Amino acid sequence: MDVIVTEDQRMLQDTTRRFLEKRAPVESMRQAVESGSEFAPETWRAGLELGWVSLFVPEGFGGIAEYAGGAIDAAIIAEELGRVVYPGPFLPNCVAAFAVAEAGSDAQRSAVLPALARGERMATLCFASPGARGGAEPGSIRVNRTRHGYSLEGIAGSVQAAEQADYFVVTALDEHGAVSQFLLPFDAKGLTVNPLDPIDLGRSMAQVQFHSVALGEDALLGEYGAADAQFERQLQLALVLHSAETVGVTDRALEFTLDYVKQRYAFGRPIGSFQALKHRLANHAMQLEGAKAAVAHAARSVQEGAADAAAAASVAKAHSGKFATEIIRDCLHMHGGIGMTWEHDIHLYLRRAVSNEALWGATPAHYERLCRLAQA
Amino acid sequence: MTTTSTEIAGTETLEDFRLRARKWLQDRLPPRIPGEPFMDWERRELVARDRQIQRALWEGGFAGITLPVAYGGLGLDYHYEEAFYDEAEPYRLPWHFGNAFNVVIPTLLAHGNETLKQRYIPGILRGEEIWCQLLSEPSGGSDLAGVTTRAERRGDSWVLNGSKVWTTGGMACDMGICLARTDPTVPKHAGLTMFAVNMKSPGLTISPLKLIRGNSDFCQEFLDDVEVPADHVIGEPNAGWTVVRSQLAAEHAGMARGWHQGLRVAAESAAVELSPAYVDMLRALDLEKDTHARQLVGEAFVIDAVYKLTTRRVAVGVRNGALPHTAGSVASLMAAQTDVRRTALLSELYGPVGVYAAPDRGGNSVGLDRVCTHRIGGGTTETQANAVAERHLGLPKEPSDDNAIPFNQRKINADRER
Repeated sequence: MDVIVTEDQRMLQDTTRRFLEKRAPVESMRQAVESGSEFAPETWRAGLELGWVSLFVPEGFGGIAEYAGGAIDAAIIAEELGRVVYPGPFLPNCVAAFAVAEAGSDAQRSAVLPALARGERMATLCFASPGARGGAEPGSIRVNRTRHGYSLEGIAGSVQAAEQADYFVVTALDEHGAVSQFLLPFDAKGLTVNPLDPIDLGRSMAQVQFHSVALGEDALLGEYGAADAQFERQLQLALVLHSAETVGVTDRALEFTLDYVKQRYAFGRPIGSFQALKHRLANHAMQLEGAKAAVAHAARSVQEGAADAAAAASVAKAHSGKFATEIIRDCLHMHGGIGMTWEHDIHLYLRRAVSNEALWGATPAHYERLCRLAQA
Repeated sequence: MTTTSTEIAGTETLEDFRLRARKWLQDRLPPRIPGEPFMDWERRELVARDRQIQRALWEGGFAGITLPVAYGGLGLDYHYEEAFYDEAEPYRLPWHFGNAFNVVIPTLLAHGNETLKQRYIPGILRGEEIWCQLLSEPSGGSDLAGVTTRAERRGDSWVLNGSKVWTTGGMACDMGICLARTDPTVPKHAGLTMFAVNMKSPGLTISPLKLIRGNSDFCQEFLDDVEVPADHVIGEPNAGWTVVRSQLAAEHAGMARGWHQGLRVAAESAAVELSPAYVDMLRALDLEKDTHARQLVGEAFVIDAVYKLTTRRVAVGVRNGALPHTAGSVASLMAAQTDVRRTALLSELYGPVGVYAAPDRGGNSVGLDRVCTHRIGGGTTETQANAVAERHLGLPKEPSDDNAIPFNQRKINADRER
């Protein structure tokens, strides 16, 4: 990913790539999709043994957070997951673990973190409004104080792996717009998961509805009305992992497209010798290099809590998302007829790219966020 | 000058060198003036000041840090150069010597004979000679191997006739490396020779070109029986293309290191900066609440940041071996594409305000900003894209109709005589 990687990071990349080639090649995802099953739980747990979620779990709770490279290491893994369009819920579990580790009470941390690290439990995130502008800020879940605690009302859009989740990290706003976070079990009364039918075949997505969900004080994650900074850090981490995955998706799709245009002949020449294709591919390689640079920088800034972390995360998201779809749409085009078939893998990459551009704030939402950051 | 550079630097540790550089820079170099251009060849006082600065670097023992001692350099490894540029960040450096350092010296070291190396490398280090490149011609620029300027051997000299164009800073330079055709009866790449030409030679006329905005850093040269001594051939006669290839590689490496930023970006902060200039623009244009304008500014933040991060990534990656040297062409291509997109964004943002000269933009309008330079200069965007596609991505080479036939039998522009 980055050009300045340590030996440890290089090893992490190699190990992850070898593991995924063996345990989760694109064909395995295709089989799962065609048989209607979800992602393979045994692969997910084997991945967790490689430390996927433990990166964000402190040692005291069964993790390795103190020794790991946090966002940087997780971005290396996410990029590899993107290369095989891996279906499992890496991002929501990492970010939920990070949220609980950072803001949770001791009780919350002991209850949730060891189980997340081992893969016995899963968690996901609810904050985005279901509308076109959702994904880069909390908005559609309202919290009210009650006599005994709190009550949640509203709908969260685009919740990944909600059906599998045992815990929900919910971000809600009060009547003044102050941000609070809560940790809920999946069976909280009034919480309903409504599955969606996503364009990305390897991903289960849902809307989560909160109807008079009554919570005690112990459900609060962090301080009431003062969770905006912790939410921002979680968002930044999510943007880095999401964009790193997008880079992996794009990198692999461009790679096999380059192989294809070197081998496919038309008019007596490899089609990759025509400038009409070469110049487009050169531009694609350039924008992908830009995405790699932006994501690598964002991962470092977010990990270090640098002053530019918020902007760097949005730059990475906006650029990687926009050009992933542009590049992979054109890669499909360069495959000609075969690219239009169900049998060819490229639609799996296109589906993930189109989906990733829209989720976690579409490009316009991040342009607007950058404007707000610049004016702050 | 009492002590030579080599005597001072020879035994110094990196840390001593850095401390000496810090102190010396404080005492001797002018600070960098915000907004001052790195290069402006029309402002001769800027060029003259850079000559003095380069001279001062020489006298202070900081010229040619990594260059061989035999040619006046310090013979130190690149860590010393890094340390020096770290320390030199706040100061004005002699950027008008960029071509001499990035292109000419590497080319002379790779291909020049002893006479040329001994005569000319120290001249650059001492701030005495600024070099340009005489490459493009009125008949074409991107098809560099198609140059038609002729060089004929007469006794101990070569005699050059023809015309060169788009020479950066030609009017202010002392020497130029010049590509000419020495054998038109062989295929085009085989009959070329590279020369070191004195820009003050009799028969060499230099005229500045006026560009779209009225000013220009570029010149056209007319060569009318210009004599060049036989020992001023760089490389071998008719082996000019070999020289061109390493010269272009040196140029790309220079760009990858951040030439556009003024010889160096590695020491620059890597942070994403959301330039307040764009926010001021929104305010000045009364568009702070305009959704579309905010989208344009958001995109401008992204393309500027991505360009900066990519240039840096390529520079670091090429240096530490994580990326192949061909990655430099990716950075060049991005420079062009980013400029074009930024100009389009700004034009859209300014609307009718952008078509008049504006005092807050130094009397310039928006719509013509850098719209040509990076797309055409240094090889058009199309040749850059070919370089990325062929050398970086390994796609098949573009077939050519004139590579195999003798140069004097090729098809030429219809309006020119054979």
